[in-house]
Amino acid sequence: MRVTFTVNGREESADNVWEGESLLYVLRERLGLPGSKNACEQGECGSCMVYLDGVPVCACLVAAGQAEGRQVRTVEGLAEGDRLDAVQEAFAECGAVQCGFCTPGLIVQAHDLIARVERPSDAEIREALAGNLCRCTGYEKILDAVRLAARRKAAT
Amino acid sequence: MDFLRPTTWEEALAAKADRPEAVPIQGGTDVMVELNFDVRRPAALLDLGQVAELRAWGMVGGFCRVGAGVPYTTIIEELGGPLPGLAQASRTVGSPQIRNRGSVGGNLGAASPAGDSHPPLLAADAVVEVESRDRGVRMVPATAFYLGVKRSALEPDELIRAVHVRPATGPQYFSKVGTRNAMVIAVCSFAIALHPGERRVGTGLGSAAPTPRRAYEAEELLARELDWQAPLDPALLRRFGELCAAAAAPIDDVRGTAAYRVHAIGVMARRTLTWAWNDHLGRRAA
Amino acid sequence: MTTKYAETEPRQDAVKHVGRPVDRVDGRAKTTGEARYAAEHRYPGMAHAALVHATVARGRIEAVDTEAARAVPGVIEVLTHENAPAMKPAPKTSLMNLSSLASGTTVSYLATDEVHWNGQPVAVVVAETPETARHAASLVRVAYRELPAVVDFAAEEPNASPQKSSVLQPAGGDKGDAVAALAAAPVSVDLRFTTPPEHHNAMEPHATIAVWDGDRLTVHEGTQNIAWLRAHLAQRFGIPERAVRVLSPYVGGGFGGKGFVWAGTLLAVLAARATARPVRLALTREGVYRTVGGRTPTVQRVALGADGDGDLTALIHTSVAMTARIGGMPEGVVSSSRHLYDAATIHLRQRLVRLDLLANTAMRAPGDSVGSFALESAMDELACELGIDPIELRRRNEPERNPMDGKRFTHRMLREAYEVGAERFGWRERDPRPGSMRDGRWLVGMGVATAYHPSLTMPADVTVRLAADGAVVVRCALQEIGVGAATVQAQITADELGVPLEAVRVEIGDSELPAGPGAGGSAQTAGAAAGVLDACRKLKESALALARRAPDSPLRGRRLDDLEARDGGLYHGGRGETYAAILARAGRDHLEAGGGTGMLKFLAKTLNERRRWVKAASGAHFCEVRVDRDTGEVRVSRWLGMFDVGRVINAKTAAGQLRGGIVMGIGMALTEATQVDPRTGRIMNPSLSEYHVPVHADIPRIDVHWLDEPDPTMPLGLLGIGEVGITGVAAAVANAVRHATGKRVLDLPITLDKLL
Repeated sequence: MRVTFTVNGREESADNVWEGESLLYVLRERLGLPGSKNACEQGECGSCMVYLDGVPVCACLVAAGQAEGRQVRTVEGLAEGDRLDAVQEAFAECGAVQCGFCTPGLIVQAHDLIARVERPSDAEIREALAGNLCRCTGYEKILDAVRLAARRKAAT
Repeated sequence: MDFLRPTTWEEALAAKADRPEAVPIQGGTDVMVELNFDVRRPAALLDLGQVAELRAWGMVGGFCRVGAGVPYTTIIEELGGPLPGLAQASRTVGSPQIRNRGSVGGNLGAASPAGDSHPPLLAADAVVEVESRDRGVRMVPATAFYLGVKRSALEPDELIRAVHVRPATGPQYFSKVGTRNAMVIAVCSFAIALHPGERRVGTGLGSAAPTPRRAYEAEELLARELDWQAPLDPALLRRFGELCAAAAAPIDDVRGTAAYRVHAIGVMARRTLTWAWNDHLGRRAA
Repeated sequence: MTTKYAETEPRQDAVKHVGRPVDRVDGRAKTTGEARYAAEHRYPGMAHAALVHATVARGRIEAVDTEAARAVPGVIEVLTHENAPAMKPAPKTSLMNLSSLASGTTVSYLATDEVHWNGQPVAVVVAETPETARHAASLVRVAYRELPAVVDFAAEEPNASPQKSSVLQPAGGDKGDAVAALAAAPVSVDLRFTTPPEHHNAMEPHATIAVWDGDRLTVHEGTQNIAWLRAHLAQRFGIPERAVRVLSPYVGGGFGGKGFVWAGTLLAVLAARATARPVRLALTREGVYRTVGGRTPTVQRVALGADGDGDLTALIHTSVAMTARIGGMPEGVVSSSRHLYDAATIHLRQRLVRLDLLANTAMRAPGDSVGSFALESAMDELACELGIDPIELRRRNEPERNPMDGKRFTHRMLREAYEVGAERFGWRERDPRPGSMRDGRWLVGMGVATAYHPSLTMPADVTVRLAADGAVVVRCALQEIGVGAATVQAQITADELGVPLEAVRVEIGDSELPAGPGAGGSAQTAGAAAGVLDACRKLKESALALARRAPDSPLRGRRLDDLEARDGGLYHGGRGETYAAILARAGRDHLEAGGGTGMLKFLAKTLNERRRWVKAASGAHFCEVRVDRDTGEVRVSRWLGMFDVGRVINAKTAAGQLRGGIVMGIGMALTEATQVDPRTGRIMNPSLSEYHVPVHADIPRIDVHWLDEPDPTMPLGLLGIGEVGITGVAAAVANAVRHATGKRVLDLPITLDKLL
């Protein structure tokens, strides 16, 4: 089948999409957007998170056809040109990035958190990021990054 | 494979009637895993995401009617007042991103004994509204809905439309033990709902038997012996815990042993009744 | 002794880059999604492969039915042992050629009808899309004749045989008669521990893209060892090493799981050769469990005898671990017991069982992570028996020289680590009575344990090029598995040459570059640093030689040792000149120098050092847990790690390594276990939903600190940092749980049911 939706502000179509395919597959394999990572295919790790109509979701659990006509925003669509989003900047700066494979998903989820909650508490951050596994950092610096990004965002 | 995209409930029912083998998909949190892992390849997917009314809730005939596609996030944000037990359970489902997509309807459809919404639905006497094009609506009490591991009373041509739950008239609590603080399937879980008007207490056990179930004898004990004006009798509390534990028929699996589950059900039963009772007495005093 | 530097404070004397919490150079690429991991490259005509896994532990394939798979539109080829081109067998291993150790197993895939483990690839489907390949793979039907298989580690344990010692890894040892001393000891403990198999679960599942161009092969893969992978592929496919190019700029985590060459890699290359197409084989998470080895299970006995003052009179530590019939790495399970305590007598033995399972492999601190659980739990139990504070017991038994053989430590600051750590953690507030500290329904417990991991280096070839415009390029085929490899080497280079950090670019992740050390054994940073230091020195010497030819150079007559590299040049006091000036005068546009040690020289040096010295990174873990007294749920509520890791090059990346190790250790303590069906040898929980790694909500604030004292024998004084963090962690948790509940849990992980 053919699937058409908007990705990072641009309308994209994919043809010959198998009906059981995930949105993640379409993004990575058909649209050349591998920023969202494929690490578990069962919604356990959060590496594939994207916004679907403004709601952060695991792209591996969205059937491609369910994205028809909708708005998708991926990690590739967070920076404005050369200017990184506050969350991206803070992750790089705080040492919240190591191997980098969980990073895109975490950034999408953190981006959503600080858009909804101006100054999230540590408990809120831990809870909000509980579905984003990271095997490298020990999580602490991710917490720092979210706090920093929230602070900077609130200041602007 | 076909991808069916009804935009109204009538279209959805028609599609399911014509293609009973079609697998309904909403949040995708169960169905997509099976497709991704290639464990099943249905002839058709029936996407219910376009049927807007499934994602709405409202008051109907004294019941809170929650559309099958209402995501857990909405239940947490909007239904904590009327359905506190279900809202608490929803808060423990997976992760925020799963709660953004997953729904009670999906939980019922999958009928996993570990589903988090089942115990509070049982404790609060929920009724499941299912419908087929040809045979119309059936109202199935939650107690009759779960038939076995991942088997439910849903017929092949039926879809789950909503659950009906009476707004809480007393305190409700949900408790769950797991190895992690989040992202964890329950080792076992327990829900309690006080119905002070009827001098009755409802219970629900999760991950403690092939299906979610109530602890009837424990409920009967309280109906018989609970003094609704007085502090909780420790001996009664203990017997309540024992009868709840006795209602469990768990297995050993990778998440925990049967013996542990029986023990934990007893602990959670005592704990949630104590919390609920404190609230109950507090409300009376206030 | 106090700690000088916390992780975020720069060194007080720092005008330089080493020691500073510099931002990683790949932060932008990784936060924007621009970084391309192995599976994310594209080639015209690229096909996709999927594996068919054996469903029996041992046997012969009687028939393979590929008809249904071949009938799927888009299927290009189904390779089985009946039609696959041959690969050369894995080489005999030899210490003279370390890349001969690269093979994860000894199996020649798709070469015979033999099945060696439940999960072994027995067919490969190549198709136009990944989805098609995967679906078709599920349609391949294989009939087996099953053979008796030994897959139950617990049942096989009594049949273990002694592990052989090697030059690099002794498998046992004795000092005095520990058995007699134990029997005579006034106070003793004698405990039996078990640890389960575990898997790395790096977030990136293994993926390979293989592209043949005639007899030249290009491979994209996230690997921890580019040089080994290249050598191994050349050997298996019968082509010269120079015909193989391995590209691995980003590796989505490794932890040992990407240190060796496993079936997926070889089969991707084989499939590409067989189909004459570029082939991508991206393993599913389950595929990783089925084809990449994990940590061995262990059974260990630790018996300790002490006099009434707590001086150890006997230390017995024996272990049983596994290897597979088809390979695997014998682990140094009791290794920590060679070094940690000054016991009057010591008895150490390692034994092995050989199973019909997938070969085990290195996983973060092999040997030491599991061995330290047993040893450090036993020390805690002895402290309980003696009624002595567990830190005091360790202090009393802290050796001046290596306990087994009297060799000197190059560096050892465990006393200081405990002293400073205890102060910062608030250890003195601990009431030693079990179950005495409470917070509502939570029992609160505090525990300590020692971290210890031997340090080593591996040789690296490095070139450094300095252009007239000031740009510096460092080239070395390092692996970036998350440690900040390019970042820290840029810091070192900037300091050595006295140039701005921004001027230095480090090229890594490509086998065309000078050969680097593998990212394993916590050895990459030190090995590469040695090469960088050597190359930088040679480059400065060339610069000085050029300068000295000029009569008007202020450097005329100076020796390099008298000079300081700073401000983009070489200076003696206020006099000197920039590299740019030197190059301009000489009419040169760049200088280049190479550094490094050859393998033979390196081995000779290593063995020579080992005869004289013992060196290691170490530390003290402080853990606080809360245990629900009714349900047995354990939550880690506080953590402090005080480490002695020599000099720290980058405070930010170092803290991440240590903290990540601690969190993996918390997983090991509380949730992680690979479940192997004892009847069939099949892994029953090959997914992130059934194998539980710690999530954000499980982890409290984790304080990590270090004593910033350089080791005198290591390049720049740095000791490896990637593995020491996990050692001792599981014991610290178990000891805290013991303190909270009075229960000593001997079997990992500490699940709820064990506390009731």
